[in-house]
Amino acid sequence: MFKNYIKTAYRSLYKNKGFTAINILGLALGLATCLLIVFYVVDELSYDRYNTKADRIYRVNEDLKLGDNQVQYAVAMPPLAKTLKAEYPYVEDATRIKPAGTTHVKKGNSNIVENKVGFVDASIFNVFTLPMISGDPKTALLEPNTVVITESTAKKYFNTTAALGKTIIFNDKENFKVTGVIKDVPKNSHFNFDFFVSLESFPDSRSNEWLRSNYNTYVLLKDAKDHTKLAASFPAFLQKFSGAQMQSELGMNIAQFEKGGSYFRLNLTALTDIHLNSNLTGELGPNSTKEYVYIFSAIAIFILLIACVNFMNLSTARSSNRAREVGVRKVLGSSRKNLIFQFLAESILITFIATIIAVIAASVLLPAFNQISGKDIILTTQSLKWLVPALLLIVLVIGSLAGSYPAFFLSAFQPIAVLKGKLSAGFKGGGLRSFLVVFQFFVSILLIVGTLVIYNQLNFIQTKNLGYNRNQVLIVQNSGELNQQAGVFKQELAQLPGVKSATMTGFLPTNGWRNTRIYFKDASYDQKKSLFPQSWEVDADYIPTMDMKLAAGRNFSKEMQTDSSAIIINEAAAKFLGFADPVGKTVYQSLGGDRKGNTPNVKECHIVGVVKDFHFNSLRQKIEPIVLTYGQNAGALAIRVGSADIQSLMSQIKAKWNSLSPGVQINYSFMDQDFDLSYRSEQRIGKIFVIFTSLAIIIACLGLFGLAAYAAEQRTKEIGIRKVLGANVTWIVTMLSKDFIKLVCIAIVTASPIAWFVMNKWLQDFAYRITIQWWVIAAAAVGSLLIAFITISFQSVKAAIANPVNSLRSE
Amino acid sequence: MIKITNLEKFYRTEEVETIALNKLSMHVDTGEFVAIMGPSGCGKSTLLNILGMLDDPDEGSYVFNGIEVAQFNERKRADLRKHNIGFVFQSFNLIDELTVFENVELPLIYTGVSAAERVKRVEEVLDKMQIMHRRNHYPQQLSGGQQQRVAIARAVVNKPKLILADEPTGNLDSSNGNDVMELLTDLNEQGTTIIMVTHSEHDARYSHRIIRLLDGQTVMENIMV
Repeated sequence: MFKNYIKTAYRSLYKNKGFTAINILGLALGLATCLLIVFYVVDELSYDRYNTKADRIYRVNEDLKLGDNQVQYAVAMPPLAKTLKAEYPYVEDATRIKPAGTTHVKKGNSNIVENKVGFVDASIFNVFTLPMISGDPKTALLEPNTVVITESTAKKYFNTTAALGKTIIFNDKENFKVTGVIKDVPKNSHFNFDFFVSLESFPDSRSNEWLRSNYNTYVLLKDAKDHTKLAASFPAFLQKFSGAQMQSELGMNIAQFEKGGSYFRLNLTALTDIHLNSNLTGELGPNSTKEYVYIFSAIAIFILLIACVNFMNLSTARSSNRAREVGVRKVLGSSRKNLIFQFLAESILITFIATIIAVIAASVLLPAFNQISGKDIILTTQSLKWLVPALLLIVLVIGSLAGSYPAFFLSAFQPIAVLKGKLSAGFKGGGLRSFLVVFQFFVSILLIVGTLVIYNQLNFIQTKNLGYNRNQVLIVQNSGELNQQAGVFKQELAQLPGVKSATMTGFLPTNGWRNTRIYFKDASYDQKKSLFPQSWEVDADYIPTMDMKLAAGRNFSKEMQTDSSAIIINEAAAKFLGFADPVGKTVYQSLGGDRKGNTPNVKECHIVGVVKDFHFNSLRQKIEPIVLTYGQNAGALAIRVGSADIQSLMSQIKAKWNSLSPGVQINYSFMDQDFDLSYRSEQRIGKIFVIFTSLAIIIACLGLFGLAAYAAEQRTKEIGIRKVLGANVTWIVTMLSKDFIKLVCIAIVTASPIAWFVMNKWLQDFAYRITIQWWVIAAAAVGSLLIAFITISFQSVKAAIANPVNSLRSE
Repeated sequence: MIKITNLEKFYRTEEVETIALNKLSMHVDTGEFVAIMGPSGCGKSTLLNILGMLDDPDEGSYVFNGIEVAQFNERKRADLRKHNIGFVFQSFNLIDELTVFENVELPLIYTGVSAAERVKRVEEVLDKMQIMHRRNHYPQQLSGGQQQRVAIARAVVNKPKLILADEPTGNLDSSNGNDVMELLTDLNEQGTTIIMVTHSEHDARYSHRIIRLLDGQTVMENIMV
């Protein structure tokens, strides 16, 4: 009996090879896509969970509001970690991390640029789970000038993991002893260092300043529940430890400070929330947002639904062809139960085959997917533990759903009616099928609009006038290496024929240093009127080199002796200060430190110019006030090049560099590339979106293709008759396409407003954004109509040009 | 009206080539009623399909109303067909989803007749075929004889010069069959040329002339008086 089922199932599938292929491949493609997204989402959700104590680890953040300026930092004060540990018995441990930025590490005679270098407390190995291969995690970083490196770094520099006791030379001069080798930090960690340098090496780590924040600080609680207790104790804690410093520096206590509307608070972020829920100033790396996890999860569900809908549609459509088989089986004595079982088993079997293909496809596509998404997902036996049961469940659910219609519907047929051919069942009465087609295109249109909007926004970012010109700017990132020679280097480069101008500063709009200072609007030093802007030290060549425009006043000048107290502000700062004509006005910069006499320690600054607003943050944020001060800062060297021959210019620049700084490699980048880098996550999301959208549309079209083929097949006789009576090809194609196009139109009408609403919401995240143009919706509508029509046309044209004799002969 | 000369048609499958028509020649004059007879597989239906321009010959000439159509493409044939030829099938070939009225209306739609004119002409022909009272019924609701009347109504609604009937009584009982033959005779007497394929000697007797085919060739012509 069972063998007979398999046999008829197999032959029926084989006879309809085309349908079977569409059916299985469509489902497999959908499942494979869905699997990839699931991997992505699982990876996103797994961040930092490799830590065995993850639930007890919290990061301490600082919220600062000063007048109308509000900043949320992911970093906190230098003494915070040790004080929290000493003060509260339920804080088991606390540790700090500070990224070192670009560092040079000596290998042989050359210096290699390393970006993954972090200064950390010795307690890091107690808080985070970073298994040590050799060395003692308890003592490894207690001493100054010690470093713990990862396994692959050890191999890179010493060709062995047995690197204990060896020496690493940072920046060509600082010797650090390797006191531990740990396993590589998992990719799904919010920090990712290759070098863990002992903070003990730096006096700043022992600083007792409470009004400065620059350490990512983590606490390990004895009990996860204690985090509320800890958070509640912060106000009193700050009062106790920072109150005195505030009094001496700002001339007021915390109560007075807060009375002015300002505040200064600490709060906690759970370790496992950092990757998806935290985007503060001073994060250790770019985090993701949970929106994308939601969006991708939704896409995965949509794609799976589309694939399932196809599968069901095609299965049920095809099943009417088997009405005769049902009739014969019933006449010969098959019970209804048998038939139900037969159809369900068949459907589950097909789903199973599709799932196997999907798993193979997903694992084959994983490396490519990793490359696009920037992830490093690998399938382990660990992942199989949840994957296999999940897949089996999917097989059962989809298989039964898809099989249930033919199983229950067909098995209820009256055998006589079926055998006499009285039943033209199948395509007619396909209300459910129509609904499912509408649903598929509904989803496809949502995805198309989503993709278009994301791409438009990305394009907007790429082409927006940023207030400076990022093209043709070369940045020497490590000009600070040259120390006193940096100025000489700048002068020499400025002389080169291909160089238009050069400016020396680490403060660059794309990436680089950031620094905030407090300015008071007038001599009352009223903090309510204080400005808390970015304060950048630049030279007189900065504005011309960056190609920024002045809105008023003048640029800094080497000739003006008084320019040491001159500042240039941006339009946002001018607006904030409320000066109608800011040029010539004076503001007061807080210098911090101790108060001298009765007046705060301030410096008078004269506004000499207003620079037009330029973007130095992500376009997600509004342009903040900025103050440019005149000075020498050797952080980096930006060169505007006019020459088309970058190659030869580069070699000249390198030659100059080498003559000044033998031994250290020049580290340079192009400003436009730096800019693109900061939108990489958006670009990735855009790419992933395009891929998933295309897949969803392909899957939907596969289904439509199958349905159109089926519809054409069902109507072969009718088409034949109509042709004999004089209908031409256009007539037939129109007739066959009309029904489907109608469904797509319904999808367009229902999906458009929802797509507009959702994408508008997404755009709200950007302070600078496009508005969704009507043509985006129109393009999605026309696009989906066109795609649907082309898909259907394959079948309808084929049916329409067929010789009617063939379809009528069978009578 | 029709003159075919040395007509050949082959059917090829992977292994065998079947000759359906073998250098067949014949002619039909305007106003004639011709019956084509022969055993299964003799090429009757193939001949009828070619005459109806549903199929094209592999070799030979087919002149319809003085026009050589053997080399016509599908579009040209379709155009000629819809204005000149009506079809009646053994299995009626009505469209199940359309009512009697809509079925009969179809050829007029395809020849671009205006809606008002269509109503007039369909009603006229339904009246003539005495199935006016069934105009809003679907084919499944009619008896076989009624269905064939509808099919004939559909065949003549465009006032074709030629009607091709493929065993028009094959699915009918003798009484209904005779009615259909009477109808065809009436049409012929009003000037329509009729070519009919049949197995029935009884039906063939309604015609003026019987052409007997065997293995794709004319073997005999009987002139009826």
